[in-house]
Amino acid sequence: MRQFAKWLSTTFLSVLIQKHNSWVIPTIQSIHIVGIGVVVGSVFMIDLRVLGWAWMDQTLRQTTRRFGPWLTAALGVLLTTGVLMVIGEPVRELVTFSFWLKMFLVAVGTLIAALFQITLRKHEQRWEETLVRRRFIKCLAVLTFLIWLCIIILGRLIAYDHVWGSWSPATKT
Amino acid sequence: MDITAFLKSLEASGLATRIREALWLFPLIESTHVIGLSLVFGTILIIDLRLLGIASTRRSFKQMASDILKWTWAAFALTALTGTLMFITNARVYYHNFFFRTKMLMLVLSGINMLVFELTAGRTIHGWDNAPSAPRAGKAVAALSLAMWIGIIVMGRLIGFTTTRAAVLAPPPAGVNFDDFLQGTPDKSGGTPTTPTDRK
Repeated sequence: MRQFAKWLSTTFLSVLIQKHNSWVIPTIQSIHIVGIGVVVGSVFMIDLRVLGWAWMDQTLRQTTRRFGPWLTAALGVLLTTGVLMVIGEPVRELVTFSFWLKMFLVAVGTLIAALFQITLRKHEQRWEETLVRRRFIKCLAVLTFLIWLCIIILGRLIAYDHVWGSWSPATKT
Repeated sequence: MDITAFLKSLEASGLATRIREALWLFPLIESTHVIGLSLVFGTILIIDLRLLGIASTRRSFKQMASDILKWTWAAFALTALTGTLMFITNARVYYHNFFFRTKMLMLVLSGINMLVFELTAGRTIHGWDNAPSAPRAGKAVAALSLAMWIGIIVMGRLIGFTTTRAAVLAPPPAGVNFDDFLQGTPDKSGGTPTTPTDRK
């Protein structure tokens, strides 16, 4: 991975980003944070609806129709800016424990969001009438939100990967 | 009162010293700050898009505000608290930082912007509560609010690049790291692996 990261840092786009890193990296990171705001806001609203704490004048389907597309679009923005950050600073990102744990949780979070939207579309009535009241589903809503919070924490920890001690490949030279 | 002396006393406080010396505290406080700000921005965006008539246009504004704004304020409190904790660790540097000052100014302007809303469109909500968008004043406030909050995020990121960047690149301070939670023994070398566990 370290070799791949080093090779990546010699590619054209990477060199271009590194050349202008004083403003390119902060700009990409800022767009990334705006995207995080949209993702967290959208997931939070859908979860509040599942928990019955907000949007109760709207159906579950109406709520996901409002936030689903924003969530998908923002995830696209995060993927794009994320890839650019990896290309711009490959060693800083790829040679860390935080990054890979984060990628795993992103996959889990995205999978849950996708499965939820698909099953809701297929079994709309069952979701609105019974499933949304199940304690298991409410727990899943809380868990999903916590997963996204962990993703934020791990994203920030990429910059401080040494806190993981020997778990961090960054501490090995 | 002498501001430099005050900032210095903040830096010398026990809390600031603890945060500076603990390996985990600053990163976790910073992460919590990002969690808070993403909720602040995410929820404000939903309200502003409603005012602009872009999203949730068929829902009562009052209902949305009562659903959402309490969370915005809670998240803002969390963000302000974690921001203060980061500030006291390096108060003099932040205080003189251009981006920090700009960010604080923009926060104040956002507050004033909110007051303008309360004094204009906020007074006539009953008249447009179910309309797809707010009157012109409300739209202007919403657009300004979005521009300001995006600016606040950009400034916040630039503060990180112009103040704490050096601290991140410096060798990790000798303190508690993740190994110690697993092994229960203080790692004197600070970040040097004691057990060769390859995770990849």
